[in-house]
Amino acid sequence: MIIKHLSFYLLGWSLFGAAFVLPAVLHAKVPDIKPWFQQAVLLKSYQQSYDWLTPWEKREIRTQTGMALVVRLPEIENSQKAESPFKQSLLLLTTAEMVADATLIEVTRKDIRQPFQAKLVLMDYAANLALLKIENNEFWDKLKPVEWSPVKSTAKPDPNNIYSLKIKSAQEWEMESGKIELMAVGHREVSGAWLPILKLSGVSKSGQGFPLLQDNETVGMILEARSGEAKAIPAEMLLEFLEHAGGDSYRSLPHRGFHWRKLTQRSTADYFQIPPEKSGIWISRVLPYGTGSDVLQSGDYLTKIGKWSLSYDGKIEHPEWGLSLFDLLFLDQFKVGDSLKLAVIRKGKPIILQTKVSPYEEDGRTVPLKRVGYAPRYVIQGGFLFQELTMNYLSMWGTNWRSRAPVRLRLFLGQNKSVMIHENNKTGESTSGNKTFASAARVVLVTQVIPDQLNIGYQKLSNAIVLQINGRQIRHLKDVIEAFLNPESEYHRIDFLPGSDRLSVVLPVKELKQSNRRIQNNFRIPKLQSL
Amino acid sequence: MFHSKAKFYFVLVCLWNAALTPVLASPDKIEQSVFRITNYQQSPNWQSPWKMKPTNRGLGSGFLIQDNLILTNAHVVSDSRILLVNKISNPEPFLADVVAIAHDSDLALLKVRDANFYQDLTPLELGGIPELRSRVRAYGYPMGGQELSRTEGVVSRIEFGTYVHPGIDSHLLIQTDSAINPGNSGGPVTQSGRVIGVAFQSNLRLNDVGYFIPVPLITRFLSDIEDGKYEGVPEIGIETSSLVNRHYRRYLGLPENTSGILVDRVIPHSSADGVILSGDVLTKIEDKQIDAAGMVRYGEQQVTFFIEAENRQIGDLLKIQVWRKGKFHNLSLSLKAPPFGAEMRNSYDELPEYLIFGGLVFIALNRNYIHSPGNLTPSLAYEHWYRELERPRTRRDQVILISRVLPSSVNSGYSNLRNFIVTTLNGKSVNSLRDLDIMLKEMPPDTLHVVFESEWQKMPLVLDYKKSLEQQQSVLERYGILRSSNLSALQNKDSQ
Repeated sequence: MIIKHLSFYLLGWSLFGAAFVLPAVLHAKVPDIKPWFQQAVLLKSYQQSYDWLTPWEKREIRTQTGMALVVRLPEIENSQKAESPFKQSLLLLTTAEMVADATLIEVTRKDIRQPFQAKLVLMDYAANLALLKIENNEFWDKLKPVEWSPVKSTAKPDPNNIYSLKIKSAQEWEMESGKIELMAVGHREVSGAWLPILKLSGVSKSGQGFPLLQDNETVGMILEARSGEAKAIPAEMLLEFLEHAGGDSYRSLPHRGFHWRKLTQRSTADYFQIPPEKSGIWISRVLPYGTGSDVLQSGDYLTKIGKWSLSYDGKIEHPEWGLSLFDLLFLDQFKVGDSLKLAVIRKGKPIILQTKVSPYEEDGRTVPLKRVGYAPRYVIQGGFLFQELTMNYLSMWGTNWRSRAPVRLRLFLGQNKSVMIHENNKTGESTSGNKTFASAARVVLVTQVIPDQLNIGYQKLSNAIVLQINGRQIRHLKDVIEAFLNPESEYHRIDFLPGSDRLSVVLPVKELKQSNRRIQNNFRIPKLQSL
Repeated sequence: MFHSKAKFYFVLVCLWNAALTPVLASPDKIEQSVFRITNYQQSPNWQSPWKMKPTNRGLGSGFLIQDNLILTNAHVVSDSRILLVNKISNPEPFLADVVAIAHDSDLALLKVRDANFYQDLTPLELGGIPELRSRVRAYGYPMGGQELSRTEGVVSRIEFGTYVHPGIDSHLLIQTDSAINPGNSGGPVTQSGRVIGVAFQSNLRLNDVGYFIPVPLITRFLSDIEDGKYEGVPEIGIETSSLVNRHYRRYLGLPENTSGILVDRVIPHSSADGVILSGDVLTKIEDKQIDAAGMVRYGEQQVTFFIEAENRQIGDLLKIQVWRKGKFHNLSLSLKAPPFGAEMRNSYDELPEYLIFGGLVFIALNRNYIHSPGNLTPSLAYEHWYRELERPRTRRDQVILISRVLPSSVNSGYSNLRNFIVTTLNGKSVNSLRDLDIMLKEMPPDTLHVVFESEWQKMPLVLDYKKSLEQQQSVLERYGILRSSNLSALQNKDSQ
């Protein structure tokens, strides 16, 4: 059973990484709150996401409150490229979750009662960061951009106490203390991104977009805070985000370009001709994006990234944070575009691969990761609602969709060639809203049959995987439209994957238009297709 | 017919470990011939296939029919270690043995060892299909009481439905609002002094709904075993879609006054294979018209056309008519056993097949295993259900899994591995457990590594061959396992 109103914004960061031995907590001076009256503003967002079960409808409006921080895009040294039009102006930085699918974003300064309307400039949903602009200049009067500083390790003699804001009311702002538990590598499930992230404790009154302070310096921004625990994105990553935002075309944060596994079985290591003294990690899958994706091969044994040797469990000795997962190198050691050498053992031979640090990207996978801000794509013909299989659609089964969604649909997530219905080759482009993605062949479903006299006898069909329409293979939603333009006879014929409730249906060509009109009127559907 | 995607809300009404609460009643002739059956049952542990689960005491019912035979449900007497039968108001139990068992239709016959048991008992006669809304009476020992219970109700529906005991099979069943509770299983349902069915399951989602196995399936079972061997309920072996949609009927050119059901798929090696074609419209079966939803007239009811196969024996001929390429064709097919493997049906009375090598536990995927807690994963589901539908040519005789690992130095690093689907061993396809056993035994002595690869895993599983052999016995001893393999599907029968 699909849970229609279960929110999927709860999907968050799960934490992985090395724990640190914490030194004794020392007490630092409480930072002055006044400068924040010019650097942070309250943010209220009215969000309305799309209903992927009834894709022409939107779901209930929900409201979120948090903060946004005043920022200025940094200068890029020796930049030859055209720069962002917002280069010289101030902007607001907050989390992507705060403003995803927003219908109205209001920000309020501490010293001005009425809210100002903010507009989204840029959102990196994978990194959970967003930039906002406010066109009313009055808003920016006397506001100052945040000065960012790198976060310091808790292993140093410096106090590990950190501070964030606590907002009691629009007028009552206070400081709240907490501490850094560890710098880890967080996996954001909704995007498949692995990025450095700070795990904090004690800042339970904080919220999304709140500043994170250490030694009176701003070292990060809170992504979420709940039950006395919080997660924050460190300043180094924020600066890289702002730097990329200032470029001519946005690139996401630096990211690894592969999945890996530990290789602790001696027999397996022997089989792959890996010397026992060589520590490293086994590359299980090369991603279509990210660092090393252009040179690594599945089955390579990666022993070094740059000058950093990898341990058997994927850790490096980070200069600031000690033994940590290698992804932490993307925090402060590598920037997108840096040249990088990778040492690998391939088929028993050590080789050095030359590559460049690359960012996270939308990877054009068979089942696209969750997207926000774009209307669902669909086509209705004779009451058959065609949609591409997406994470947004699967999320309709609720937070436990990984165990509750139909198993045949979940099988497409694994990228296993055996279960694919098409060759998983790149097939050009796929569009979502006004954005274009390189994409693999998609899985097109008849998610439901909207009842009409034309489709009597087919109405129980749901989540049927479409193979062909009128003899044409269906790899994308646009194929559905084209296939319906070319019937082979006076009937359209749709064929489904074996295992569906039925294997084929036919619809009379002559009666289809009339049926579409009836369905549109009967069910008050504004558009019969949305691409 | 079988439904691989059927959802089961039914519960078998055999009662395990129930408390005994005596209730007095005055017996009549029917009641004297209805017995309480106690089954001390032990089923295999599918996670550790060399072990058995703790013994359970199951309670059910049964009744005397011809030739001193007691008819009951298969699920009442499955995996039995010792079977005891009690007469009404008599505390003395009699030892009994299973004479015949039909797991596909949940029926079994018992015989009591002591001939004195049968003194003064009258066998019950079998009747026919009851009329809808007619009154019926169910006898049995619900909740394990020592005294017989009788409840009355009406016949509310006659239809095809899933039999929970085999899990995959669907047959005719009759629904009644007569209370059928745990312990009633195997008891007779009567009308006018004759047996019209065997109570066997209820539906947890509905109030006061019980089901009984109708007489045609019982008589089919009794005829089937006349030659001393149970062959099973035959099946046509086709998958169909309705033709309720008039446009589809026109698309197929079916004459206006003709109805029928569309054949989507003919299952290889089934009764229909080579006779019926995918895309045919099945219009008649045994001269009965099939409607657009695939139903035929059966007494007062419309019932799925599969009914015409299930009341016959394997080898019987079945007349059919199909509409193919604009013409009617009258055909006949010889009925065969269902075309799916034994692994698709719940397994009883057999010990699981397994093989242990280097501490890796290999099993063949089956219904019992996939329905064990935590095993219904997408990859196992694909191998069990979808591969045959989508890529039948890539299907292997058995799907071999490393279900778990018995930790040992030879398999160090793999101890948490579960449900690794084995595709190849040292590059050669693994088609069955026997295949694997032979491949391991015939491995050249100078082999360094045994490499198990999987379509589902990027990283192969590699063991040192010599160490695996050296440690084989010590692994078995450490984990208290007597045999390194069971490849003969040993019978899990009454061991007395």
